[in-house]
Amino acid sequence: MSLGKKENKIDLSKNTCPNREQRAKGTNVYFGKASELLDEAKEGTLQCSDRKFQQSGGCVLNFYLAVRVSTIRDAAVIFNAPVGCSSSALGYRELYRAVPVELGRPAEYDLHWLTTNLQQNDVVYGASNKLKDAIKEAQTRYNPKAIFILTSCTTGIIGEDIEGTVTEIQPEIDATIVPIHCEGVRSRLVQTGYDAFWHAVLKYLVKKPEKKQKDLVNVASMLSYTWQDRLEIERLLGKVGLRVNFIPEFATVEQFEQLSEAAVTAPICPTYTDYISRGLEQEFGVPYFLYPSPMGIKNTDEWLRRIGKYTDKEEEIEELIKEEHVKWVPKLEEIREQLLNIKEDGTKLNVLGSLGQGRLVSQLPYFDEIGLKSPAAMAQDFDDLLIEELEEVLDTVGDFDIMVNTFQASEQAHVTHKVNPDVALTCPFQGGAWKRDSEITRIHALRGDADPWSAQSGYTGAVAFGNFLLQSLKNKSYQKTMKEKTATGYKDWYLEQPDPLYFLEKGK
Amino acid sequence: MSKRKQIAIYGKGGIGKSTTTSNLSAALSDLNYSVMQIGCDPKNDSTTTLRKGKPIPTVMDTVRSGSNKLDNLVFEGYNGVHCVEAGGPEPGVGCAGRGIIAAIELLDNNGIIDDIDPDIVIYDVLGDVVCGGFAIPIRQGIAEQVYTVTSSDYMAIYAVNNLFKGILKYSGSGGALLGGIIGNSISKISQKEMITDFSEKTETNVIEFVPRSSTVTKCELDGVTTIEGAPDSEQAEVYRQLARNVINNKDSYIPKPFEAQDLADWAASWINNLLKEEKIEHDGIRSGSGEGI
Repeated sequence: MSLGKKENKIDLSKNTCPNREQRAKGTNVYFGKASELLDEAKEGTLQCSDRKFQQSGGCVLNFYLAVRVSTIRDAAVIFNAPVGCSSSALGYRELYRAVPVELGRPAEYDLHWLTTNLQQNDVVYGASNKLKDAIKEAQTRYNPKAIFILTSCTTGIIGEDIEGTVTEIQPEIDATIVPIHCEGVRSRLVQTGYDAFWHAVLKYLVKKPEKKQKDLVNVASMLSYTWQDRLEIERLLGKVGLRVNFIPEFATVEQFEQLSEAAVTAPICPTYTDYISRGLEQEFGVPYFLYPSPMGIKNTDEWLRRIGKYTDKEEEIEELIKEEHVKWVPKLEEIREQLLNIKEDGTKLNVLGSLGQGRLVSQLPYFDEIGLKSPAAMAQDFDDLLIEELEEVLDTVGDFDIMVNTFQASEQAHVTHKVNPDVALTCPFQGGAWKRDSEITRIHALRGDADPWSAQSGYTGAVAFGNFLLQSLKNKSYQKTMKEKTATGYKDWYLEQPDPLYFLEKGK
Repeated sequence: MSKRKQIAIYGKGGIGKSTTTSNLSAALSDLNYSVMQIGCDPKNDSTTTLRKGKPIPTVMDTVRSGSNKLDNLVFEGYNGVHCVEAGGPEPGVGCAGRGIIAAIELLDNNGIIDDIDPDIVIYDVLGDVVCGGFAIPIRQGIAEQVYTVTSSDYMAIYAVNNLFKGILKYSGSGGALLGGIIGNSISKISQKEMITDFSEKTETNVIEFVPRSSTVTKCELDGVTTIEGAPDSEQAEVYRQLARNVINNKDSYIPKPFEAQDLADWAASWINNLLKEEKIEHDGIRSGSGEGI
């Protein structure tokens, strides 16, 4: 792990974390060989550059941070922002209502939402009184255990003294107030929002452990991994008598408070989990690991073994692995066999995959496992937190092209065009929605639905995901129809450029 | 020194704030303290006299270039003083306040100050606290003590009074408190008296009076502090005394600023005194001596 560096110490006396650019020399603009990206990350020379043409973007506040925080049940959220900044949070019920209550989603999942709706006068005269009023209103209206304050570009630019306001009003308020510094202007890397969230959780919510719970495993789950993945993780760990403390989605405030009592913090996505994992170890001695994630058979085995080590369940875990292998490995072998036989010449199918950098390092070994080749991959961003993990991936699967960008559909189209894979994994934000100009199978890398076939984690997930890929490759009529019925999204001259980063202003 | 002393120095533009700050830093370094001076003004000229008149790249320059290399923000000045300039936009564009916020956040959150671990950090801040950005150094967790440089000029005192309002506002939420007033460009007794009276009326104190001196100007033109350029001068001794006073000053005040009209009324009486004194001087009559021509 790329840890232990002096600058990586988390300082909770500060109001917030450094941004990802500064903390981990991150970037969200790159195209080249993965080995070169790795070298640059090691040297610390990665940086964000401007584009002359940019299609879309996400901000630190609204790239899901808002939605995730809104799920915390006995809490309320205040958007200290103009009303528009909270708009994405309003999609919260849409996002989660597909998860059936029977599978564990709380029946009552109303949005506990307030906004200070900052206006001209607030910008000119300051808005601390408005925030105080909103905090009082949140306390009266929802009687929550915690009140999260999400800051915005507006409060960041006028330099609102959020901590000052919180210090002043906290004595009058029962709920713990948790200010999160997710001002959009802070950073181009949306990961900064998660770091800022974890910083606030560590600073304000996590309590000193009253007792250690040797059977409790912290898992920072993202629901871009699916609800089924949570169930799979609960199933596996439950079999050896371990309990899972899933945060932040649909967690209670108490679950945050007891993060310090767990036996270990285990990853699903290392880039997402890094800050909270390190913080919990540094402040409360909760051990952690960042790699591997439970994706694919080999990585799930390893993930379970690491947890077994910290929970004194090593023998039980070995038993579990044996038991699970008997059931699932033959199924995966079958999928592998079929995938290897799709091409008549017996060569491997090419997949262009991944989404975040976390998924990059966990998905590629899985593709290797099921007999797929990845000549190229995409990630939303990359930084030096995952140097060793990428190194390991390169050792396993060899070198490949990598495209790093956040929501630039044209660049993704370019890479897809160039690589011409058999299947491309992407998501609507990331370019999956553009019109198809080939019959490449495109499937959603971020299938948030709660259906078992959308699972990706653990053993059942490895099989489900393999089946999903297999199905999408067996029947191409959908791709054919789409190609016939829709025009090409981009002009040939762009797709023929050697560099997909044609619009990049180098050095700017 | 066990705990790091962090102070912020405010004052109206052109009042001699950076001159005083740089001399204070230089004097403190001569007293064997490790000092970091952080210029918080988009003009980025706070530390030039510590660097033989040469400007340094600013923190915001680095941010703007998109570089994530943070090892080129602190520059060595006179006698090892660590010099930093926050920087900011050209006049008339952008948001200077946000520049200060972004620069201080970068220094603070990335442990850049902690890595150098100076005994004293001095923030030299553009005088009028015109927006939230310029109040950042006096917020909770940055500086604990504020000093303000002022002359007896009404507008300078007006700016100090505004600063006091800012300090008062943040005093309830863990913000910095006032360490004292530094009277600058003092050439007459009545100027001292006026500033002293202002400090009494606002329930604060004056930590040092710095006389007007051509030595300071001459050294500045040479691109050095008085401490460096004229170490044996009387003026240098004043700055050294200021440095000792700042080190020993454990007092912190919550100021009681004037309301706008009250300040004008208070000032009016003093301005009359000063004008009378000037007139006497101009007419060649030495006040108080009783001698005529």
